[in-house]
Amino acid sequence: MGRIKENPIVKKLGFNRIILCSVLLLMYLLFSLTSKNFAGLPRILSALNYAYFLGFLSLGVTFVIATGGIDFSIGPVMFCSALISGYCLTSYGVPVALSLVISILVGTLFGVFNGYLVAYWSVPPFIVSMASMNIAKGIASVFTKTQSVSWPQGTTPEGWFRSLVKVGDFPVGLVIFLAFAVICSIILNKTRAGRYILSLGSNKEAVRLSGVNIKKWEMLAYIICGTLVGIAAIFFVAAYTTVQPGYGDQYNNEAIAGCVMGGTSMAGGLASIGGTVIGVFIIALLQEGILALHFTKDYQLIITGLIVIVAVYADVTARRRKN
Amino acid sequence: MGDVILTMKGITKSFPGVRALDGVNFEVRKGEVHALMGENGAGKSTLMKVLTGIYKKDSGTITYEGKEVEFHNTREAQSAGIVIVHQELNMLGHLTVAQNIFIGREFKKGIRIDDKKMNEEAKKLFDRLNINIDPTETMSNLTVGKQQMCEIAKAISHDAKVIIFDEPSAALTEAEIEELFKIIKDLRKQQLGIVYISHRMDEIKVITDRVTVMRDGTYVGTLITKDCTKNDIINMMVGRVIYEDPKEHSMVPEGAPVVLKVEHLNAGKMVQDVSFELHKGEILGFSGLMGAGRTETARAIFGADPKESGDIYINGQKVTINTPEDAVKCGIGYLSEDRKRFGIVVQKTVAENSTMATLEKYTKGLFIDKKAEKDVAQKYVESLATKTPSVDQLVVNLSGGNQQKVVIAKWLVRNCDILIFDEPTRGIDVGAKNEIYKLMNKLAEEGKAIIMISSEMTEILRMSDRIVVMCEGKKTGEIGIEEAAQETIMNMATREIG
Repeated sequence: MGRIKENPIVKKLGFNRIILCSVLLLMYLLFSLTSKNFAGLPRILSALNYAYFLGFLSLGVTFVIATGGIDFSIGPVMFCSALISGYCLTSYGVPVALSLVISILVGTLFGVFNGYLVAYWSVPPFIVSMASMNIAKGIASVFTKTQSVSWPQGTTPEGWFRSLVKVGDFPVGLVIFLAFAVICSIILNKTRAGRYILSLGSNKEAVRLSGVNIKKWEMLAYIICGTLVGIAAIFFVAAYTTVQPGYGDQYNNEAIAGCVMGGTSMAGGLASIGGTVIGVFIIALLQEGILALHFTKDYQLIITGLIVIVAVYADVTARRRKN
Repeated sequence: MGDVILTMKGITKSFPGVRALDGVNFEVRKGEVHALMGENGAGKSTLMKVLTGIYKKDSGTITYEGKEVEFHNTREAQSAGIVIVHQELNMLGHLTVAQNIFIGREFKKGIRIDDKKMNEEAKKLFDRLNINIDPTETMSNLTVGKQQMCEIAKAISHDAKVIIFDEPSAALTEAEIEELFKIIKDLRKQQLGIVYISHRMDEIKVITDRVTVMRDGTYVGTLITKDCTKNDIINMMVGRVIYEDPKEHSMVPEGAPVVLKVEHLNAGKMVQDVSFELHKGEILGFSGLMGAGRTETARAIFGADPKESGDIYINGQKVTINTPEDAVKCGIGYLSEDRKRFGIVVQKTVAENSTMATLEKYTKGLFIDKKAEKDVAQKYVESLATKTPSVDQLVVNLSGGNQQKVVIAKWLVRNCDILIFDEPTRGIDVGAKNEIYKLMNKLAEEGKAIIMISSEMTEILRMSDRIVVMCEGKKTGEIGIEEAAQETIMNMATREIG
């Protein structure tokens, strides 16, 4: 085992990521063998639909977790973004393009709100995000008068935004998502923002005493997260059309599961965008497989719940062994 | 000294890639205090961990009370009578003294805890040690020194025959150390075997009977303390000669300008009306007992903690410093006393830590210029002789002294004119200590102004050009190195303030 880890090729790719990729492939094989009609393009495209919006949530929360924080509001905020922008579109006649911008803006504003409270008021992220989760649900319900919102179909001229997800059978969404993942990876690893975000997740006081304005950078992590959540909302409605107020919590768990499975440490300071991407694909495939095997969504809740616990346990024990 | 109670022979222990112990011998007699010395990484802690069952030895034998033994965990070692008093205290602040001592093995009356009996038993232990602590006092109300006494009482309550003290004096005041020594001497009289691990040469001479020296995981030798000099021990530890003579006169040129002036600084109870000046090229020693307010003063100047009032002038200009960011912009760098907590980011590399305070200079457009970053880090790795395989090494993998050099590099990269070194050599071995002293002298020669906070008198006398003494949050004295003597400083540091 030790020798495999020392292999230069394995080191370059990351042992964890190789394992995750193998898990992904094995899961695909397993579902293909146990369920009729699973193999093939339609199922893959369907799983990808799920992977896009979840992927953006996961990318976003990776930044927050890297600071040592947590955000439980991402799912409901995504729904809030989709509902507010969708209601503007359907009830106030706002053009589609502007609605999409509004969606991103709503997400970003929640990021600013969460980030400000966490960084400048030192309210624990757990509390802040729990509260804003409810605020997001509440605002969405009030704004839409508790009605669900349906975005235009792809056949209508207003449905052009759906080509963000796919054109014919070509997964445009995959290209966009991976492009964003690359950008996130660059931000995290090659810019000052990323350096400070990871460093303050590892040792906030040491970074502060180096004369760095940690409040600014910590808040930025939440803003990046919020913006990505706003984008996630676009991909959600582009794939699933209808959004109902009062939901969205379940995606928190799934997004965080994808993130920690990929090797981002809940303790902060360590994050892997590549790992997050593979983690998201695993969750999306899992959800598709569970539906294909005619289990209900509830089983997925159980499984992702367990994944989070196992992934965090693995991180904690690895840390303990190192010390 | 009585019979041999514990013998370790030919102890060898390897970790992947490192041989931590290589055929080490060590013995303890009843009624002796046996010092275990060596630079950081020499293997002292590893040896003690093998003894108490935290690590499993690869080979060698441990003989205890005439029988060969092997403990599998600290609990087994404890019940056999071998206990460690750790450097970091493991106490629960909200419980009483007695509850802490008997934690995990409380006396019970039915299903209820019998606090009365525990208090009585704790009192008996304290009487045996001749110390005056109320067993019903809440632990967090005690000073660090008193808490350590409780730790010792706890050790004895296990019916210890061998007690290992791991750097017990690191956090104690001079008075507390004296009290500790009294207790150790008492224990020695009661025929316990005592292992004393410390970096402080002066203490070794005072308290120990024999000294065993280790170097790089090997056994160097054992000396009778009263027959050897400090330099003998140091030579064995480092394999070279080091002098620790005090500085005789100030190295600051006549008429050097004042670079930092602090006036009437107030910040809570620990910083009351502190004023002083710092000159270009000067090393200003800050002496005083633990808790005198020196670190608090430094942190207030640096903006790490809020201040209530007072003015700070840099090169004659009044400045406002509310955050460390402001301070760094004014050209001040602060090396914290606790580098693990406040100095380094362990999950980042040597290069990344080196530029932590200067990253904007190593950013080209949107991106960090990693090549320039590595180059500058490499430059300081070389000039500070930091021992690291490469600048891409995570700092968590470096030894204490080398981590300290990385923190120093961080401020040198920033090119700060004013450097505050808070206990710069704490927990650092003798060799690395001397390198840091040399470096500080060099920096002062180059015209940097340095504030050095130190609790070690020898360090203060050796390094400072001028000395400020603090006591209970107030400045109680200021003397040039020419007039400074240990007694004068001690007087100022313990002065009663009317």
